Amino acid sequence: MSTTDVAERRGAEGAPGESGTPPTTKTRGSWAEKAALPLAWVVLFAVFAALNPDRFLSMGNISNILGSQSILFMLALAALLPSMVGDIDLSLGSIGGLSAILVAVLNVQQGVPIGLACLLAIGAGALCGAANALFVVRFRTEPFIMTLGTGTFFGGLIFWIANSTTIVGVSGTLSEWTYVRVIAGIPIQFYYCLLVMLLIWYVSTYTPLGVRALFVGQSRDVAALSGIKSDRIRWGAFVLAGVIAALGGILYVGTTGSAGPSSVGAFLLPAYAAIFLGATSIQPGRFNALGTGVAVLFLATGVAGLQLLGAQDYAQQLFYGGALVAAVTLSRYLRRT
Amino acid sequence: MSTTALELHNISKVFGGTRALSGVDMTVQHGEVLALLGENGCGKSTLVKVLAGVHEPEPGGRLVVDGTEVPLPMPLGTSSDLGLCFVHQDLGLARPLTVLENLLGFAQEGASRWNIRWGREVRKAREMLRSYGVLVDPMAVVNQLPPVDQALVAIARAAEQLKQHRERTGATSSVLVLDEPTVFLPEEEVSFLFDLIRTVVAGGSSVIFISHDLPAVREIADRLTVLRDGRVVAHASMSDVTDDEIVELIVGAGAATKTAFGHGGGAPTDRAFDRTPGAGLDVRGLVGGRLTGLDLAVAPGEVVGLAGLLGSGAEDAPYLLFGARSATAGEITVHGRTLPVDRQQPALAVDAGLALIPADRRRDAIAPGVSVAENMMLLVVATFRRRGVLQTRRMRATADQRADALDVRPRRTSVPVGTLSGGNAQKVVLAKWLEISPKVLLLHEPTQGVDVAARAEIYRVIRRATETGMSVLWVSSDFDELATVSDRVVVVSGGTAVSTVEGSDITPEAITTAVYGAARATGESTITTAGAATS
Repeated sequence: MSTTDVAERRGAEGAPGESGTPPTTKTRGSWAEKAALPLAWVVLFAVFAALNPDRFLSMGNISNILGSQSILFMLALAALLPSMVGDIDLSLGSIGGLSAILVAVLNVQQGVPIGLACLLAIGAGALCGAANALFVVRFRTEPFIMTLGTGTFFGGLIFWIANSTTIVGVSGTLSEWTYVRVIAGIPIQFYYCLLVMLLIWYVSTYTPLGVRALFVGQSRDVAALSGIKSDRIRWGAFVLAGVIAALGGILYVGTTGSAGPSSVGAFLLPAYAAIFLGATSIQPGRFNALGTGVAVLFLATGVAGLQLLGAQDYAQQLFYGGALVAAVTLSRYLRRT
Repeated sequence: MSTTALELHNISKVFGGTRALSGVDMTVQHGEVLALLGENGCGKSTLVKVLAGVHEPEPGGRLVVDGTEVPLPMPLGTSSDLGLCFVHQDLGLARPLTVLENLLGFAQEGASRWNIRWGREVRKAREMLRSYGVLVDPMAVVNQLPPVDQALVAIARAAEQLKQHRERTGATSSVLVLDEPTVFLPEEEVSFLFDLIRTVVAGGSSVIFISHDLPAVREIADRLTVLRDGRVVAHASMSDVTDDEIVELIVGAGAATKTAFGHGGGAPTDRAFDRTPGAGLDVRGLVGGRLTGLDLAVAPGEVVGLAGLLGSGAEDAPYLLFGARSATAGEITVHGRTLPVDRQQPALAVDAGLALIPADRRRDAIAPGVSVAENMMLLVVATFRRRGVLQTRRMRATADQRADALDVRPRRTSVPVGTLSGGNAQKVVLAKWLEISPKVLLLHEPTQGVDVAARAEIYRVIRRATETGMSVLWVSSDFDELATVSDRVVVVSGGTAVSTVEGSDITPEAITTAVYGAARATGESTITTAGAATS
């Protein structure tokens, strides 16, 4: 009945430190939980290295792991944004493919300089994102089914523009600036992805905008009733996702030197596997940028290792699909506890 | 300070053909707590929404804030610029997030635009909460806080916004509107809230306190305004009116009955029951939640109240018995059929003739978007099938009859149940379960957020259902209510039944004494201060 009783009951004072880390990494989940995925990655890496030390640990392979999966990395970062604010965008694979085919058609068939072609492709990505936002946010529809629809529509545009053929012979400058140039043995496009990841991480963790976006994602009603401009934030997420997906498409053209009717779309599922896996670590229970980065490395390592061991193409799908199923189950479990 | 904090003059609001408010005048003085009272549907919520700018009042109304005329209608979102802040029943907290994130999400100033320094924000938040006497860790996730702490955080956050508003604009006044903040709190914890409200008032705010909880109003309010059917029926000082007079003001002359509010009256306690073991409900060795071995028997037709402090385990019993939460051990016998409770599931419970009316109505008991008729007939929907086709017209007709019998308003059962007031929604829940004529009715805080008249109706309906042999286990922290409805009250402490209050001994005072006495005897930490329950 005394005040001390009250204080004790509502206690839990003290413990949290005063360092500069955000609260989410402190109160949610244990260390083991946060570090599980990075540890799993280390274990996976060690297992493959032990099974096939010569080839797996070669510089070429490590560069391959970090560099070749940049398209997946970029697409995962695109998928991250709508997911963080409580939406989902299934059209991002098609947006990336549209961007890739635009770059190829404009550069090869129309003779547009490669730089301008890339800018136009990014613009198209933004436009597609805005179209998604228009239907989902403005007209209040379910993002899942709506973006499945817009994605199919964008996919149709790709076939139309490409005339159902693969276009080769894109300017070498693009390859030069994405895949060929290396820093510390790793293709430069990997660093583009890192940069985008760090930007998303900083804004979501250290700015009021990030905190507001968190509300929109976790408790949209509360956000709306508190005067947070939810719609504006959701618009921003869709448009930016379109832009980042378009960047993914450009990386695709740079890596392969060509673009066909079916290209980036195949990366959509592994991208979602990555963000859901990412949501099980670093900030468990929340979609987060750093977790997504770790998850991409995990997936890339797994696939590269399986391929070196001589696994067939289907192994990649088994691995991606299995990872997504496991990740969604795990994140559901984390959210409950 | 010759001005007032807030004045409303001649506020009216018409929805379609219905007049929700007619010429309402209201004045809030500087530094006072004004209670706004009235039955559900009397216009309180509409009035609050006019203040918040959600509803446009009819032309001719005036709003004066701190002596300054404010043009009406007020655009949505500008009320905070006038120094008005609202805390609703649902508190407006994002529950999956931490307290600190909830504070930051609404901060209008302070944190820089490009670099939140989390360490500093933690310290600031802790100091801010402490300045209101709220000792809650800013890093705690809201979901994991007890309800009372959630309420305290929400109110402290609102108070801080008002304080910042006053500092920013140099205004001398601000108004905090608390819309039924005590509804989901156990009675004994309400007093923590009062301390906070007093701090807020001392800091320079006025408070509009909306509640059904008369003892709470009695404790905290200076004056009261009572609305009935959209009109103001009284402005008065708390010291000038008695509780009975307030009830009469709320429900209207003639309609007020003492029993409706739970004072005096009392249930017929001299009824004879068939106490053969196993005839009604028998519970043996129930372990789970905070219960450590509860033994209990309820005869057919008997209403047994279960009373205990928060943490005693009483509030776990209905959910464990119904299988809504898993128990670790125990046996339940219903009309001679014995089941192990650790394997209980809601579907089995319904088959065994158990019914549960949970405390969190909006989450657990109704599907808000589904019609009244369908909610009511959910359990018996199969009986309206003929040759594989659902006979919706017959179902609706039956639902209409039930709505009539229980005085559900509005009578139309085609409307979504979510549009009904708390009291009427609870009647629908009750009707749904009575439809299967349960052998045992388990109730947890069945009259939370229910107005006085509906409360009396609910008591009456349950009492009538017991005449056919239904056993009732009634868990409530409102001891006035238990005294009114129970044939016997079992006191739970430390996870077991420790004593019984029977027959003519059943009074709110006797229950309170038994509960607190038991808690002391078992060395349970009584975090409570004797609250409104002893009124």
